[in-house]
Amino acid sequence: MRNLISAELLKLRTTRAFWAYVAGIVVFVPVSLALSIAVGNDQNPLTTSDGIRGVFSAASSGALTALLLGITMSAGEFRHNTATTTFLITPDRRRVVTAKVLAGGLIGVVLAAVSALLTVSIATPWLHARNVDVNLLSADVVTPIAGALLSLPLAVILGVGIGGVIHNQTIAFTVIVAWTSIIETSLTGFVPEVGRWLPTGAASALGGTWTIEGGLLPFWAAALVLTGYCASAAVAGTHLITRKDMT
Amino acid sequence: MATIEICGLSKRFGNVNAVDDLSFTAREGAVTGFLGPNGAGKSTTLRMLLGLVTPSEGSATIDGVRYADLHEPFLRVGAMLETDAFHPGRRARDHLRILATAAGLPATRVDDVLEEVDLVDAGHRRVKGFSLGMRQRLGLASALLGDPAVLILDEPANGLDPDGVRWLRQFVRTFASRGGTVLLSSHVLAEVAQTVDDVVIIAGGRLVAQSSLADLATRSRPGVRVRTPQVTALHDALTTCGIRSQLVANDVLVAPDSTPEALGLAAAGVGAVIYEMTSEHFNLEEIYLELTATEKPLR
Repeated sequence: MRNLISAELLKLRTTRAFWAYVAGIVVFVPVSLALSIAVGNDQNPLTTSDGIRGVFSAASSGALTALLLGITMSAGEFRHNTATTTFLITPDRRRVVTAKVLAGGLIGVVLAAVSALLTVSIATPWLHARNVDVNLLSADVVTPIAGALLSLPLAVILGVGIGGVIHNQTIAFTVIVAWTSIIETSLTGFVPEVGRWLPTGAASALGGTWTIEGGLLPFWAAALVLTGYCASAAVAGTHLITRKDMT
Repeated sequence: MATIEICGLSKRFGNVNAVDDLSFTAREGAVTGFLGPNGAGKSTTLRMLLGLVTPSEGSATIDGVRYADLHEPFLRVGAMLETDAFHPGRRARDHLRILATAAGLPATRVDDVLEEVDLVDAGHRRVKGFSLGMRQRLGLASALLGDPAVLILDEPANGLDPDGVRWLRQFVRTFASRGGTVLLSSHVLAEVAQTVDDVVIIAGGRLVAQSSLADLATRSRPGVRVRTPQVTALHDALTTCGIRSQLVANDVLVAPDSTPEALGLAAAGVGAVIYEMTSEHFNLEEIYLELTATEKPLR
């Protein structure tokens, strides 16, 4: 399994697309901070607890990009026909998916750590300059940072699972973008009691990205719900990949 | 060292029988040519042998063991199936490094195989800039990485220039002479006639012939080609006399086992006008075409 995980990490590192995803995830952090600190939000000013939470939610702003990265890890192998050789080396395809899930989780943790460090090191002096002093050990900072450390790895893993279900990468991307931007947004807007149980709703509860009328799930419940989505997608993906005829 | 055994193998895609009750063996120390027209089921068969496609019926084994059940299969069987099985943005060396890492092979194997297929200078280049011939070589390098005793190559000569074909022939011959087992597919017999020891010919997913190349050559025999506007009438007359014949063009008929005398008699009997009649000796390629023409290809 160690070899397979190393190989998965090597697969990522040796394509430029991967570094573009990393760059995207990293760049989202200052952009998101600029929006929350410089532009601001009238409903949640920086003096409030929600305002600070919103600032530090920048740590998980790359979650959707992380999910797309996860999709390339599995669907990308079908797109470029590399799955054939992968399965020749490891005929037990369950092990291949397991290695991808573990490698994806690992990459997600690293990306989350980088995002969190960047968030703290940019936000703290910036807020200080605007006469807002934050205690880095307060719940308003610790919660969104911990949320990012959970939601980014889970997003990559969810992507691996989704790419295992939808083997066409372009279709998988389209479905995800349509789902998050249209379906989830309207469901959350019209039926918030459903919206908070959806992946983005759960991820928001972890990162504090935006709030839903009627409230988000508690942190621990959101973590469980998101993990549940990941596990379901990974199991479904494994099932479909195992049965796929590589013609 | 290993023997490949295909036994009663079938694969249905929907209601199409891509492979139909196919059985043959490929022995060690020999190159077996797996021949048939495009769409005959060659790739599907090779993919079933490699555990990539699940058979509907039957079995495909290497030394009696299914590929998926082999211990470290990548170190026993090397396969090259597609010419575009690479991430275009990845460097050739990185592609091989990934395979070596996954298979638990030392990084030195990457340099070994790059040298073996003469790609050392292109190792640092991204695959998208590779010619078809270079991709074939990289595919072969991937297959050789595990230093296997069995090589399975799907249309390996596709896209190779004459030098490349000669190089591949030499390579495969050497591999077999050291006791390796080689199963390679092609849709052109002439392409592999100088490379293979044995031939397995399929058409429409079914076995048409399995023999040594030498035995196939002994089927070479005289025959007659006739050009006449009344092909149908002549064909019917020959069939009545028990003479086998085939329409090869809309005014040409070939009778592989007959003589000009017999055909002349039959033509006179139905009053057919003969524009041209030649006595021919059918070569290997024609035997192959005749064998595979007996069943309609799928596509």
